[in-house]
Amino acid sequence: MNRVWAVAKNSFVSAMRMKTAIVFMLLLIVLLPVMSLTATGDGTVKGRIQSFLSYGLGLTALLLSILTIVVSCHTLSADIKNKRIYSVVTKPIRRFEIVLGKVLGVVLLDVLLLLVFSSVIYVLALQMPRFVKTTDEELALLDNEFFTARTALKGKYDYEMITARAQQAFKNLQDTGQLDENKNKQAVLKELTEAARYSMFSAEPGGTVIWEFENVKPLDPNDSLYVRFKFNASQVPPDELFYGVWYVGDYRQMKNGQETMKTPIYAVPRKDVSKTIREFQVPAQAVAEDGYLAVLFFNEPENNSTIIFSEEDGLEVLYKAGNFSENYVRAVLVIFSRLIFFAVLGVSLTTWLGFPVAILFCFVVFFTGVINGFITTSFDFIGANLALFYSFTIKPIIWLLPKFDENYNINKYIVDARLINTGFLAMALISLAVKSLILLFAGFIIFAKRELAKVIV
Amino acid sequence: MARTNEQYVIEAFSLTKIFSDWWGRSRVVAVDNLELKVRNNQVFGLLGPNGSGKTTVLKMLLGLLHPTKGRAFVLGGDCKDPRISSQIGFLPEESYLYPYLNARETLDFYGRLFGLNSKVRKARIDVLLDMVGLAGMSNRPIGTFSKGMARRIGLAQALINDPKLLILDEPTSGLDPIGTRQIKDLIVELARRGKTVLLSSHLLADAEEVCDTVAILYGGLVQREGKIEELLEEKDKTQITTSVLTERAIEQIKRIVEKDGGQIDVKPPMQKLESYFIDIVRKAQQAKKPTSGAVNRLDVTDAQRAAAMSDVIDKLVSAKVESPKVENTEKLSVVETEKTGTDFSVISQLTQQPLKMPEPVEPVKSEEIITQQEIKKNILDELTKSEENKDE
Repeated sequence: MNRVWAVAKNSFVSAMRMKTAIVFMLLLIVLLPVMSLTATGDGTVKGRIQSFLSYGLGLTALLLSILTIVVSCHTLSADIKNKRIYSVVTKPIRRFEIVLGKVLGVVLLDVLLLLVFSSVIYVLALQMPRFVKTTDEELALLDNEFFTARTALKGKYDYEMITARAQQAFKNLQDTGQLDENKNKQAVLKELTEAARYSMFSAEPGGTVIWEFENVKPLDPNDSLYVRFKFNASQVPPDELFYGVWYVGDYRQMKNGQETMKTPIYAVPRKDVSKTIREFQVPAQAVAEDGYLAVLFFNEPENNSTIIFSEEDGLEVLYKAGNFSENYVRAVLVIFSRLIFFAVLGVSLTTWLGFPVAILFCFVVFFTGVINGFITTSFDFIGANLALFYSFTIKPIIWLLPKFDENYNINKYIVDARLINTGFLAMALISLAVKSLILLFAGFIIFAKRELAKVIV
Repeated sequence: MARTNEQYVIEAFSLTKIFSDWWGRSRVVAVDNLELKVRNNQVFGLLGPNGSGKTTVLKMLLGLLHPTKGRAFVLGGDCKDPRISSQIGFLPEESYLYPYLNARETLDFYGRLFGLNSKVRKARIDVLLDMVGLAGMSNRPIGTFSKGMARRIGLAQALINDPKLLILDEPTSGLDPIGTRQIKDLIVELARRGKTVLLSSHLLADAEEVCDTVAILYGGLVQREGKIEELLEEKDKTQITTSVLTERAIEQIKRIVEKDGGQIDVKPPMQKLESYFIDIVRKAQQAKKPTSGAVNRLDVTDAQRAAAMSDVIDKLVSAKVESPKVENTEKLSVVETEKTGTDFSVISQLTQQPLKMPEPVEPVKSEEIITQQEIKKNILDELTKSEENKDE
């Protein structure tokens, strides 16, 4: 272990004295405070801090990833290229210890830089409300909607109801003789199911949409619930505002009559614009004892427009489930696991590739990670003939690639003050750890077998 | 795996290296069925012109290259085994060092790779930096060093583990005459202490001075191998070196030689440029002339120099905190008495005497010399043995 540490220390010192590391550090040192002053977002204090954190953390992750790639691709390949490795491998050190030491050196650099810059961002973000005039109201809003960590729940589907409705409609068609005999029955049924699902989440003028939730467990019943929604409308009125009433509470009580109500149902009249994420807050007492909660939207008839919520991100209920600092640490941990992955990737690649090829490869991996969802989906459209071939060749390789987008975009969690679940965090860390280990072992094997002084004539 | 043949420190059996091109087609035969045996405590020189395969052989011994055919055993095993490599000191053909580290950090790094604890490391680094004359600039990054200065660090690096076997690839290349002299003294001193040295060189004068056995390589093949005295001895000549003689004495000698039927040529011996150079630098040093380069302690006589080198290695070895090697010190004391035996010689310009090897062949050799001298004993009593068989 002492030997691994010696190699690690050596590559760390070399990296620190290399000008690249200094350049990246200077960039961040200059950019972060400037950003804290210039970030405006949507103009509110919350918006400012949101955009500062989003850009600051994003920039730190990006620059440190690039730095990690550069340093990890350089540290071993330069030793091999400049033949410095000769007087290292001839010492009583195993080859895998050299690879491990190199990775550890880069990780050490990452730990240091990430610690410094994430702390700087954290402190600046906490201090930002002081830079500008902030009302008490805004401060309270910040505490509730930004400096917190909330769990987001999506409404559960009532599949049975949808299928039942679709079958009912199918039967109606059959009974009335409107069914097109030329069409495949399965296809018709599928269409009807789609339509039923669509109508589940859309409200005609005077109609309603209901979402039901289970296992809603706010930390404190005196806290608030946040309903976050976005909708489309079939017709947009001149003032672009849609009127509606939201009812939040235990909807089951309505069936039994108002007298037996144990938990309150809150009615929130609102006017909102379409195609924009909006949020409102209700007391957490609305949640039933067994964790049940329903959100009902009533479309005011004067809107004269059908209001349509998207299935995936039409509505969420959020509530406080942790604190900002803890969530921030989790986000930094996810970034750190990425950096470790790139450190391993760079060093492992240079056990058999030269610097230019290795760094190119790393950047390809980095950018595919950024658009991983897009790539995976595009491969899923491969025809049935190729599907088998695909699942044994490209799919494992894509699995090896890291994911930085969609759910794995941790910036979004911080900006939305959304709790990074322990389970999710663990999965993200474990999956990157497994991938890193696979790469690391590949590097060990290749480097142990490599003829270091090889000359190609 | 481990072969325990105590006699041979290095054994290579039909070692072959063929370099191929990018497509894997064989292109260059760098080493061709090389058989190499280096005995314990030998100073073995691999000589040959550029591209004769010297470095390739060393790289194969060290596991940096995989032999196309054949096998090599170093200290009875594979060089990749940490137990073996911990006893080897290696100086690559050029000093490939970390430019961002300073001299002390560099040596500390290599010391750590050997698993030496911090106390030993510190003591040895101090001794080594002093020995290679870079103690004054131990905090300067290696990147700012000249080639020769970097080479000195390379040498210090090879010695930090007090190696049993020292493999030196072109040890004197890029060094100034003082550094060269020092490396040669060092090799001699190490050999005296029972270490084995394998070096490759094309600087024949340097190799001749320190090696007891050489193999001359050409085209990847050993063309000739043997003890250097046997290879170089001119059987039909005798060389005598004395202090300044009077005209009368010279005349007497001439007469005796001619009576014996021999031919004689009398001239003052030329000082070697090396010793002249070292003398000049020593005087400049005494005058405290400033330099940004390496500063070595320069002693006047060879004996002093050898003693100084012996001192350095003593310090180096004593820095070892683990149990001291008993047999080592024993060997040391024996050699020491031998040294005082040879040291009383009046002739100070005697070049470095190849020291007695503990091999059985060696006593026979010295006996031979004595008999040769006995024949001529009546000529000059005050002469001691000398094997100045070069410069002819």
